[in-house]
Amino acid sequence: MGRWVGSLAAWLLAMGAVSAAESVRAVSFINDVVPVLTKASCNSGACHAKAGMGQNGFQLSLLGFEPQEDYEHLVKEARGRRLSATAPEQSLLLLKAASAVPHGGGRRLDPESEAYRLVKTWIAQGMKYDQSTDPKLVSISVQPARGTLKRKGEQQLKVMARFSDGRVKDITKLALYEANDRSMAETEENGRVRILDIPGNVAVMVRFQDKTAVFNASVPLGAPVKHLPPSKNFIDQFVFTNLKQISVPPSPVCDDATFIRRVSLDIAGRLPTVAEAEVFLSSTEPSKRDKLVDTLLTSPDYADFFANKWTALLKNKRDAASDISANFAFHSWVRDSLLANKPYDQLVRQLLAATGTIEGNPPVAWYKRVKQPTEQLEDVAQLFLGVRMQCAQCHHHPFERWSQHDYYSMSAFFSQIGRKPTATAGEDVIFHKRGMAQAENKKTKLPVKPAGLGDPTLDIPPDEDPRLRLADWMGNKANPFFAKSLVNRYWKHFFKRGLIEPEDDIRDTNPPSNPELLDALAKHFVESGFDLKAVVRVITQSSTYQLSATPNQHNGVDRQNFSHFYPRRMQAEVLLDSIDQFTGAKTDFADLPPGTRAIALPDNSYNRGSAFLKVFGRPEGASVCECERASSASLAQSLHLMNASDVKGKLAASGGRAERLAKDDKPAAQKIRELYLAAFAREPQSHEQAVAEEYLAKPREDAQGKPLPPDQSRRIAYEDLLWALINTKEFLYNH
Amino acid sequence: MSPKSSVRLFAGVACLALAGPTFAQQVILPTPRLLTTMPMGAQVGTTVEVAITGENLEDVTELQFSTPKLTAKSKLAADGQPEANKFLVTVAADAPVGVHDARFVSRLGVSSARAFTVSKLAEVTRTKPNATLEIALELKGNSVCNATMTARAVDFYAFTGTKGKRVVIECATAGIDSKLTPVLIVADGEGRDLVVNRTSGLLDFTPAANGKYFVKVHSLTFKGGPEHFYRLALQEVAASVPAPRQSATRTVSAFSWNPAADFGVAKTVEVEPNNDRAKAQKITLPCDIAGAFYPAADVDTFEFNAKKGEVWWVEVASERLGLLTDPFVLVQRVTQDGDKEKLTDVAELNDIPPPMKPSSNGYSYDGPPYDGGSPDVLGKLEIKEDGLYRLQLRDLFGGTRSEAANIYRLVIRKATPDFALAAWALHMNLRNGDRNAVSKPIALRAGGTMALEVVVIRRDGFDGEIELAMENLPSGVTAAGLKIPAGKSQGMLLVTAGEKALRSVGFAKIVGRAQINGSTVARPCHLASMAWPVRDASGEIPKPRLMADVPVSITDAEGTPITIAAREDKVWEVKAGEKLTIPLKLTWRSEISGQLQLRAYGTAASGLKPLEVAAKAETADLVLDLAALKPAPGEHTFALASGYVVKYRHNPAAILLAEAAQKKAEAEAAAVAVEAKKLAAEVTAAPAEKRAAVETVAKAASEKLKSAEAAKADAAKRMKAATDAAAPKDIADIVVSEPIRIRVLPADKK
Repeated sequence: MGRWVGSLAAWLLAMGAVSAAESVRAVSFINDVVPVLTKASCNSGACHAKAGMGQNGFQLSLLGFEPQEDYEHLVKEARGRRLSATAPEQSLLLLKAASAVPHGGGRRLDPESEAYRLVKTWIAQGMKYDQSTDPKLVSISVQPARGTLKRKGEQQLKVMARFSDGRVKDITKLALYEANDRSMAETEENGRVRILDIPGNVAVMVRFQDKTAVFNASVPLGAPVKHLPPSKNFIDQFVFTNLKQISVPPSPVCDDATFIRRVSLDIAGRLPTVAEAEVFLSSTEPSKRDKLVDTLLTSPDYADFFANKWTALLKNKRDAASDISANFAFHSWVRDSLLANKPYDQLVRQLLAATGTIEGNPPVAWYKRVKQPTEQLEDVAQLFLGVRMQCAQCHHHPFERWSQHDYYSMSAFFSQIGRKPTATAGEDVIFHKRGMAQAENKKTKLPVKPAGLGDPTLDIPPDEDPRLRLADWMGNKANPFFAKSLVNRYWKHFFKRGLIEPEDDIRDTNPPSNPELLDALAKHFVESGFDLKAVVRVITQSSTYQLSATPNQHNGVDRQNFSHFYPRRMQAEVLLDSIDQFTGAKTDFADLPPGTRAIALPDNSYNRGSAFLKVFGRPEGASVCECERASSASLAQSLHLMNASDVKGKLAASGGRAERLAKDDKPAAQKIRELYLAAFAREPQSHEQAVAEEYLAKPREDAQGKPLPPDQSRRIAYEDLLWALINTKEFLYNH
Repeated sequence: MSPKSSVRLFAGVACLALAGPTFAQQVILPTPRLLTTMPMGAQVGTTVEVAITGENLEDVTELQFSTPKLTAKSKLAADGQPEANKFLVTVAADAPVGVHDARFVSRLGVSSARAFTVSKLAEVTRTKPNATLEIALELKGNSVCNATMTARAVDFYAFTGTKGKRVVIECATAGIDSKLTPVLIVADGEGRDLVVNRTSGLLDFTPAANGKYFVKVHSLTFKGGPEHFYRLALQEVAASVPAPRQSATRTVSAFSWNPAADFGVAKTVEVEPNNDRAKAQKITLPCDIAGAFYPAADVDTFEFNAKKGEVWWVEVASERLGLLTDPFVLVQRVTQDGDKEKLTDVAELNDIPPPMKPSSNGYSYDGPPYDGGSPDVLGKLEIKEDGLYRLQLRDLFGGTRSEAANIYRLVIRKATPDFALAAWALHMNLRNGDRNAVSKPIALRAGGTMALEVVVIRRDGFDGEIELAMENLPSGVTAAGLKIPAGKSQGMLLVTAGEKALRSVGFAKIVGRAQINGSTVARPCHLASMAWPVRDASGEIPKPRLMADVPVSITDAEGTPITIAAREDKVWEVKAGEKLTIPLKLTWRSEISGQLQLRAYGTAASGLKPLEVAAKAETADLVLDLAALKPAPGEHTFALASGYVVKYRHNPAAILLAEAAQKKAEAEAAAVAVEAKKLAAEVTAAPAEKRAAVETVAKAASEKLKSAEAAKADAAKRMKAATDAAAPKDIADIVVSEPIRIRVLPADKK
């Protein structure tokens, strides 16, 4: 935002597109003046639309969404001193905007600009507010709507506004522009789009008043696409079609070792065991990959791993010691539901329409965490619909079609939740309170009845729990958000990047990088009866998921078209479990049976006692956003792996792998093979084997330089070898 | 002032009296408590060995049950002496299947109760650990295993499943007083979880293949210990039969269901589909319908015709049947507005309100932790117009829960005025968070008085006063009921042990009597208590339930620390508007810190300022100013009560016994030592050919010495334990006076 504000002055100085004819017609406050204020950033959140009192006592509505209020503030407030019809140039508005008098925001309008003249004319014409019969903005369109642009290429956009009187006006210079991926494209104030170096699909959002339009650009790489991996299902068809269109050649399908490690980590949240790796690698069965996916999906590990994902997003957070029962019950409910493969629509229904006690109906625990109807609707919208409604609580959503009316219509679904205290402090019994479901629009103070996003208002009888109707709406096959949001979220789980990014920000102005694929995934999900395992299955059985992480000579720049597998660091819990599994150590977690894995931890309370989980970014369950989980790498993480006492303790664990191998009489080569299979699910290469053998054979000395006894020396050597393997990128990353 | 507000004030005073350096003392005098039995049940027609644990298990003489069909005698050791805390329990062949209460009788009297189940299934008791898959305990079909959960562990059981053959696995816990919140998992032959239940302790499982299966049992939060016991039943059940459940104790709310007689089998059964108005089930009033809140979001709609002026009473039982439901009834009048149907709300019937406000979930004690009300329905339906009426019945907890076991009973009847009673021990805030007093049994010390709060649920418009009485009391115990006034929902009962009463135990009955339609109606009062002594309510929620009966005992082993009574046991007469001075007699049997602040209980004396009485004062004057108190003319009973802190010595008599035992053991050891020494010397002196024989004798003597020394050490340990226990200790408790009766005569006419 700051960058385009900075270049605004230059643009305004140059602006001269408003015709002379227009200067004599009646200037509209809504259609002419407010857009000037918006373009000049007067009504941005940082300036006069700041929540509270605006700036210096002068308040405007955010981005001009409330012109009636803006008019009141401009014309009537401060004893009318902001405007002077008799001497328009002396109006405080123009003096400040032109910086003729000191203005904290600096110069926003050049007195020579058409924008300045427009405002001046409106003042001179008597500062009239639009009549109800005056033309209204009906729509805006951008030309072209889509196009194929070269890397480093440019495109001038033209934006037209259509008014209710049929008039069409070029508003290119008044509209606002923003790319959904700024690493791919930059925009200028005059509607010029500059493509950067990354191939793929990028969208530019165009805004004018409360209307938006989108320009979609396809940016080909221009490389030859000669060989495509086999197309195993519809995912491959859509991904490879896109890759061909943007001429990005995909990497080949990965080898079996990479696949078993990748898919075990992604579905079950754990490394394959040595035995599993050996069996899989030696199998010649053509469908062994598909079968492995099925085996993993039926294992309780799948349920544990995905419950770990969902419970953090559902805020299963321990604030007091007495939360333990509620949190364990809630976590287990999610886990058991996933184990039973409860259809997703049912899972969500049971959560958002939960009634009773936590003990009898664990999803009630969600209402212990999320208490206000506004928070309930915001969480439900973001988590299950991929729609961020927060902005619309106070004003029209700036990037979206959602108004406050839409916001409170959603919140009305949660208006009839009854609560009764239980014997446990902080825990309520939840029930449906008979009555008409409605919420008060904070702005208009009028009651609003429930409505699904973009749907007509519902008349729900007072006896019906409106939340069940919300669940009906969400689970309807035609719902435009519900299925899409889930498949996009899961896609990101397996591919590091959603088809829509961020994964919970689905809106017209943030189109998917591969819309046909997203639609097909959503359709597949709906038709499967909202079968979550089916989503995982179709994704992981695709060739796209199984592509090598090694880029070819062309596709290294690709960040969003899935031409190769994007490696990612293991998440905190999985990494801790992997180190435990590899070293043979066990992490002890309070209250839980010894041997409980980190991915099965029920809530955030374990982060307090585990520096490891904290350093590697295990979330605290404070937000419905997956972004709360830190996925980046840091120096602290590297140091922790190299030096931290807990990791060292695992290497030297009594009964652990290092001790066992040191005592084992098998040839070193076999033991090294075991280590590589355990860490990477692959055989060691000959040079790795040689280096390791040499290292193991080396005699060791103590701090005084005396030779250590052979058994001690051997054990240290194995601990060192384990340490070295853990600290490789190959171990730390899923690739 | 209502009795309720007097309780509140009383609690406040108690806090004040105990503030200061003595604040962290123990709460309530030692009380016998049965905490666990192992096993927790037995099969009909068998005799089993039962081991018990508890508090104040001194001189346990008996194990009693709430049914005569269960009898127990001490288990005798090889030497013919009774083994401590072990009994042989015999279950008669005709013993009623279900949960009964077990209690022991000890030096301090009858203990608190613990559930004991009589079942028809074969019973086993786990004797070896089974915390891993490898050492899983084999569970046979149609059997029940008694076991205790270990903290941070999972118990494993194995069974052989047959494809398509249904088994019901059920874990009884809360219903038998256990603290365990069970998780049940059925896993495949490799231990991989297949199905899980964490909310009801029941898994209905039909194997998809023949083979070995495992049942995993653990606590929801992996808690464990002796108080986390469970009975795991595995039953082979036909496909069409509802899943059987083991018996359970009754919730406190259940006391208000079926007060007069068993309703028997419902006359009508709800017929689905009846969710929509178009498919409403036609009924005629009165009616008695059995139904279920099933499937999820079920609404059962009934239609009936009624005439202007009719008054009906609607009762729904579901939560009181032990289910997690919240029934709601809506009655609407149906009329036609042109072609359209018009609905007018006539009645919304919701919860049965608690007769006494239950405590909040705060840390300090602000009322009894018993909710005598229920989420069920009991309400009036007045018909103002002739016409068609539609009744909707739904479960406010049923929106997404689809459980066929969530049944209900809907009764619509003409007014049948009646009442149901429940009682529990009075408690107050002696120490923040301490709730252990609310689980105390009626085990009185000589000279002591215990107060019970009694509540009533009034049915179908009954509004009269209720006289409370206690019958079948053991000798030496008297009881006085402070009646429940007309229109009120609570009263009080005082149970007093005579100062010179001897040890006795008996099963009493609490009865309420009222005039209904010109006849005297008597109803039993159910006693409620907590399953466990909870000493820190922030860490554990007290679990209330109804007791099977009302055992009462007196101990003469020690007297109560303070007795307060009117100097004369008589009805004190006073004219309205005048002052009455009642001289009080106080008997102090222990050292008390601070002073008493006596508050009055009972409507006649409510509003009385606290009477301060210094420790050791033998008399005090209670002055009632009737001009201020304004009691109605007639007879009234009230009591005085206060918190206090006593320097308590636990069973000092045991020191004498232990001392004697110690001396005896020492003497025996000394004698054995002399003998052993003598024999050792003989070994040295013995000629070679006799040495072996002498050596054998000397060795035996040496062994005897070892055991005598061990017995000596043990006696010393017991002596120390007895001495430590008898060391003075600050204990906070409440003292309640004996009942005081007054008769208010009408004022002289001027």
